[in-house]
Amino acid sequence: MSNHSQAHPAHLQHHFVDSDQQFDAAKMGMWVFIVNEILFFGGLFCAYIVFRAWYPDLFTQAATELNTVWGAVNTLVLIGSSLTVAMAIRSAQKNQIKGLQINLLITIALACIFLLIKYFEYSHKLHIGIWPGAELYTYEGIDHPLAHVFFSIYYVMTGIHAIHIIVGIGLMIWIYIRAKKNEFGSEYYTPVEMVGLYWHLVDVIWIFLFPLLYLIE
Amino acid sequence: MSEHNHHEHHVSSAGQLWAIGIALTLLTILTVGLSYVEIPAPFDVVVALTVAFGKAFLVCAFFMNLYWDTKFNTMLLIGAFAFFILMVAVTLLDTLYRNDVVPSF
Amino acid sequence: MATAEVSNKKTLKVQRFKPSDNPSNTYLTDEKGVWAWMTTVDHKKIGIMYLVAVAIFFAVGGALALLLRTELMTPAKTFIEADTYNQLFTLHGAIMVFFVLVPSIPAALGNFIMPMQLGAKDVAFPKLNLASFYIYVAGAIFTFIALAQHGLDTGWTFYTPYSTESSSSVIWVTMGVFILGFSSILTGTNFITTIHKMRAPGITWGKLPLNVWALYATSIIQVLATPVLAITVLLLTMERWLGFGIFDPALGGDPVLFQHFFWFYSHPAVYIMIVPGFGIISEVISTFSKKTVFGYWAIALSSLAIAFIGFLVWGHHMFTSGQSAVATTVFSFLTFLVGIPTGIKIFNWIATLYKGSIKMDTPMIYVFIFLFLFSIGGFTGIMLGALSVDIHLHDTYYVVAHFHYVMMGGTLIALLAGLHFWWPKMTGKLYNEKLAKIASVFIFVGFNVTFLPQFVMGAQGMPRRYYNYVDQFTAFHQTSTIGSYLLGVGFLIILYYLMHSLFKGAKSPANPWGSRGLEWQATSPPDFHNFDHTPVVIHGPYDYHQPMEEFQLGLAVDTNGHDSETAKEVVDKEREQWKNYSLG
Repeated sequence: MSNHSQAHPAHLQHHFVDSDQQFDAAKMGMWVFIVNEILFFGGLFCAYIVFRAWYPDLFTQAATELNTVWGAVNTLVLIGSSLTVAMAIRSAQKNQIKGLQINLLITIALACIFLLIKYFEYSHKLHIGIWPGAELYTYEGIDHPLAHVFFSIYYVMTGIHAIHIIVGIGLMIWIYIRAKKNEFGSEYYTPVEMVGLYWHLVDVIWIFLFPLLYLIE
Repeated sequence: MSEHNHHEHHVSSAGQLWAIGIALTLLTILTVGLSYVEIPAPFDVVVALTVAFGKAFLVCAFFMNLYWDTKFNTMLLIGAFAFFILMVAVTLLDTLYRNDVVPSF
Repeated sequence: MATAEVSNKKTLKVQRFKPSDNPSNTYLTDEKGVWAWMTTVDHKKIGIMYLVAVAIFFAVGGALALLLRTELMTPAKTFIEADTYNQLFTLHGAIMVFFVLVPSIPAALGNFIMPMQLGAKDVAFPKLNLASFYIYVAGAIFTFIALAQHGLDTGWTFYTPYSTESSSSVIWVTMGVFILGFSSILTGTNFITTIHKMRAPGITWGKLPLNVWALYATSIIQVLATPVLAITVLLLTMERWLGFGIFDPALGGDPVLFQHFFWFYSHPAVYIMIVPGFGIISEVISTFSKKTVFGYWAIALSSLAIAFIGFLVWGHHMFTSGQSAVATTVFSFLTFLVGIPTGIKIFNWIATLYKGSIKMDTPMIYVFIFLFLFSIGGFTGIMLGALSVDIHLHDTYYVVAHFHYVMMGGTLIALLAGLHFWWPKMTGKLYNEKLAKIASVFIFVGFNVTFLPQFVMGAQGMPRRYYNYVDQFTAFHQTSTIGSYLLGVGFLIILYYLMHSLFKGAKSPANPWGSRGLEWQATSPPDFHNFDHTPVVIHGPYDYHQPMEEFQLGLAVDTNGHDSETAKEVVDKEREQWKNYSLG
């Protein structure tokens, strides 16, 4: 393996023996990263659980300020985007580069819709005085002294999730540009699959955030 | 190494993917609908989380392809979740059992 | 060589590749210049960069320690103000924990050596590896910005509510720690994937060096625990900046919850620090006993056991915090449990020595120092785990002595053992053995003089992090301070002869210690690609009863169509491991 007389594919990195090893390693690395993310959000879910166990009334009261309809719409938007990113990977696997590009664009669009809805949700709350943290929170509509705590948890959980969405959009734009440059095909689509896995993770996290924050009235 | 000795990567059909997408949509509608039903605590949380787990399972198994992937990756996912549960459970051992009566000296 | 039928046998043609004692091209000569180093994706160079960074931070943290100990020479103020004192011990702790101990063995030595022990060309994600290093540097920069601003005086543990109210630069440091955490996470991710996917033909899980098992267990802990630290410092930042109300009781929060979050990472963190050290001890002890490690699977699996149980004991830092009696009891019990796998290792290492052919070169000296100091540290940890005892010992110098015995007497000594062991491999040079032995005496004596008295004064009630103390403790403190100066001298001697070795040291042969490790079957320093052939492993990593030639096998290269001169049939039942390595 020290000679380079055999041509190896352009995408094959030097320290790997073959494409399969490289793909499997990339996938395993991505799943280990997903383990990370689960524990990262897990800390936030832990804080949620601890406080909800202490103050169940606070949670049921404060959650009335969250709009279930828009939360459900956002859930459907993300599910749709998971579907389209899975379709994008499928297109890559079947060497349908146009299909890959279109599905990526739709996924990006759906992700932007999610952020747009979030923007409306946040700006409504900020407008009526629901800000993160006791220093800025001024809303009087919830009759509980710890209302700011619930919303701090709400903002940090959905906020960090939204940051992950933004990062995901960036990654998908990058993949789209590379797809336009014909870098992917059925022989090599690893980055598409990796971004897809990341995106599904973001979807799964929302699948849990939604009922725990929005559906507890 | 120019031999194409791939072990086959699973390719889902478009129909399969759409089916999962529709199933996820229906489960979302279900969970929203159930939230309007009066279920006594703590079972309301149990119901909501069960549906959420169902959706997460569908995404992980069939969108993230764990169903066809090496078992180790599934173990990573389950392992991560197990540690999360341990973190929560042991913390709750403290936070739920406070208010010990302190004997006066 | 991909076969269509499923068989349990795989035949490879191998030949011997003896490593040259005089390599002309090495990883040091093939990529030269500052820019080449700064943009390298070679795991060996990245390991060296980490080593240099860790050494610099150790020097800074050590200087802080000497300042602290000098201040404690007298019961009242010696030459430092009380507020400054708080900053000094905070920074000493934060720098030593986050910038030295956590990254040192995995990122410096692990990066360099582990891929070679696997017969791989590099880690699975070399560019990510470089990114990890720069993220580490970025984290350090944030911390030093904090120093330049208002410093940090909360203790390295940042307990709320003081950390939310302190006027020091808490947020700069918490953000620095947040960033640094990613370095640790990415290194762990890289290592797990490398160990699973990049093994040379023949290296099954049962033939992995114990160093690799240790790094595997460490990486699992890094990946699971560090994200929780990230969330903790993020929440602390929000708490401080916006008044979240999660940790501050005045705003409805719970300070003990902060401690839960903090220690959920920080307890496994101490296992991140020590388990790689265990790996080094296994490597050195077998090489210098010329014997296989006793109880291979016991040591391998005990690393995993420590990783698992280590996640369940964090509350033993919080026995006096007000957490519930239920939690306290459970944590105490689990703490006793976690000592068992560690004890198993110690016994297995001692059994390794028995009837071995012991050579007391410097790495081996540090192994013995480790066995002594770490055992004391471990025992005193168990003592602290006993609830009734901990009520008296919590937050005293007993705790300080305990953790210095395990972290410094454990991790740092293991790091020194590994550094001296692999120095010829990394640099191609030998160091002055006589000076090295003298330094080790200073280290051992200095360490005990510094920290043994601290057990006694802690048991007598001397609190930790205190700037003043009552006269009863003066003799202890002064003894401890003298010891710290001896330690300082020891480290300066080490610095001197290692620097001397770099520039004027004797050239080292490929395998100066006669080790059977795969990394020693490459040149010293190694080739840019580690090996110029694909290694094939047929023996366990510590099979000293087998001849050296059989550890130097690699896939036979056909030159000019002739068959290679020696061929050996290699049988391995786990062909799954390398069915993709169809190299022909």
